[in-house]
Amino acid sequence: MSAVLDTHGHAAHDEHHGHHGPYGGIMRWITTTNHKDIGTMYLVFAGFMFFVGGVMAVLIRAELFEPGLQIIVPEFYNQLVTMHGLIMIFGAIMPAFVGFANWLIPMQIGAPDMAFARLNNFSFWLLPFAASLLIISFFVPGGAPGVGWTMYAPLTMQMGVGMDFMIFAIHLMGMSSIMGSINIITTILNMRAPGMTLMRMPMFCWTWLITAYLLVAVMPVLAGAVTMTLTDRHFGTSFFNAAGGGDPVLYQHIFWFFGHPEVYVIALPAFGVISQVIPAFSRKPLFGYASMVYATSAIAILSFMVWAHHMYTVGMPVAAQLFFMYSTTLIAIPTGVKVFNWVATMWRGSLSFETPMLFAIGFLLLFTLGGFSGLVLALAPIDIQLQDTYYVVAHFHYVMVAGAMFSAFAGIYFWLPKWTGRMYNETLGKWHFWLTMIFFNMIFFVQHFLGLAGMPRRIADYNPEFTTWNQISSIGAFGFALAQLVFLYNLISTIRSGAKAPDKPWEGADSLEWTHLPTPAPYHSFETPPVLK
Amino acid sequence: MNRNTKTGLILATIALAFFLGFIARVWYLQR
Repeated sequence: MSAVLDTHGHAAHDEHHGHHGPYGGIMRWITTTNHKDIGTMYLVFAGFMFFVGGVMAVLIRAELFEPGLQIIVPEFYNQLVTMHGLIMIFGAIMPAFVGFANWLIPMQIGAPDMAFARLNNFSFWLLPFAASLLIISFFVPGGAPGVGWTMYAPLTMQMGVGMDFMIFAIHLMGMSSIMGSINIITTILNMRAPGMTLMRMPMFCWTWLITAYLLVAVMPVLAGAVTMTLTDRHFGTSFFNAAGGGDPVLYQHIFWFFGHPEVYVIALPAFGVISQVIPAFSRKPLFGYASMVYATSAIAILSFMVWAHHMYTVGMPVAAQLFFMYSTTLIAIPTGVKVFNWVATMWRGSLSFETPMLFAIGFLLLFTLGGFSGLVLALAPIDIQLQDTYYVVAHFHYVMVAGAMFSAFAGIYFWLPKWTGRMYNETLGKWHFWLTMIFFNMIFFVQHFLGLAGMPRRIADYNPEFTTWNQISSIGAFGFALAQLVFLYNLISTIRSGAKAPDKPWEGADSLEWTHLPTPAPYHSFETPPVLK
Repeated sequence: MNRNTKTGLILATIALAFFLGFIARVWYLQR
């Protein structure tokens, strides 16, 4: 097998096969078509946006430390809530997993690069402009839109020019996602090494293949919705504007037809990372591989049939409420299959608890909890009580933070040696995990109680009876933010001066990037396809 | 046209169809 390895040495005689492209410095990053460079840029961008969105979260929690208005005015609070949501979803979590996809998919299927290398560069470079539009919107007259990340009409009709910035930002991010997805699907379908059949691919590739199909189907729907919002605002149409005969509820249907699959766009790649990490630290193959593939597909298909569970209180026939209630609870079955398979993979495995595994187990516990609160909310009679309370906020942060973000941390610690050639500091990694775990629950577990007691979301002030839990939650948020500085320090010190990593630091890792490539991964890998038995 | 280009064009067409299709559907509902 070593005959297929690319090394730095053999490429030196040809500048196109050198350590990196013809340019150095900043031009290397602007012009690069290399999947590893682009993956790195996605990850760095996601990390930056994670900190921008995190600062907004800390401001929100600081304002909520006490009832009454202390730090910020309600209008700005609404803008922060909106931008925190949008930036975390479109700027942090999604780009982070696209970064993983860029780095890993070609290496895991034995391909030399992504199918459309220049398109890949363009997909990434749209994002900084989109993010700039979002951030600049804070400084235009009227400020950033305070409509919530769901951008419901008719509020969107009443916002200042910041709303237009947001719409164009979503167009750009949507284009980026669609092009990235087309690239991923084409790469996986057409560029697998001989012998790498679909059912032999690592689970991470499978989850991304299915995610990419979801994105191709739903991002255009969101783009359509915001385009109609734009024409309602400026070109005299009345798609959603009730004053002109439009229907604001129709907007909600269209948005959630995008919005619910979007949840799985975020969750499925997270499942993929966990499906790589747990077997590696259990020293066993993934239990129930085929059922994992079918479960992932089932979740994706079901995700198109459940959108109106976000809208039980908007008004719909009882038969429709029942349909969406049952279809939503149905998702628990394939999700349960996945959780069962992860636990069964660990069962009687030779377990070790390095940082990636800790984050994976943290994911397993907390994501399952988020799934359960999701089931509670799926039940129409209960949801009508809990709609727009902090219970919902607690639920989706268990899915987004303990689900997607824990999984991203697991993946970063897991593949950091392969990316950088250096080992992170295990002690700091464990500190990062335990602090994150404790403070995460401190922020969000108590929000279940707040929601059950009736505290509404998206409001800067609250009834004094909610003070204690809010203070616990806010202290948790400050601690969570500080804990991420441990991660940042560990990351930077690993890249600058970490100990040299062996080719295969994880005994149980078995995908091609570990078994067929040196550490760090060479700039060009698998120019000759690997031979797979 | 190579295989990758064909796959990419098919997927791009699907995405465009969804974009225009949804707008057309809403237009039809609201006409």
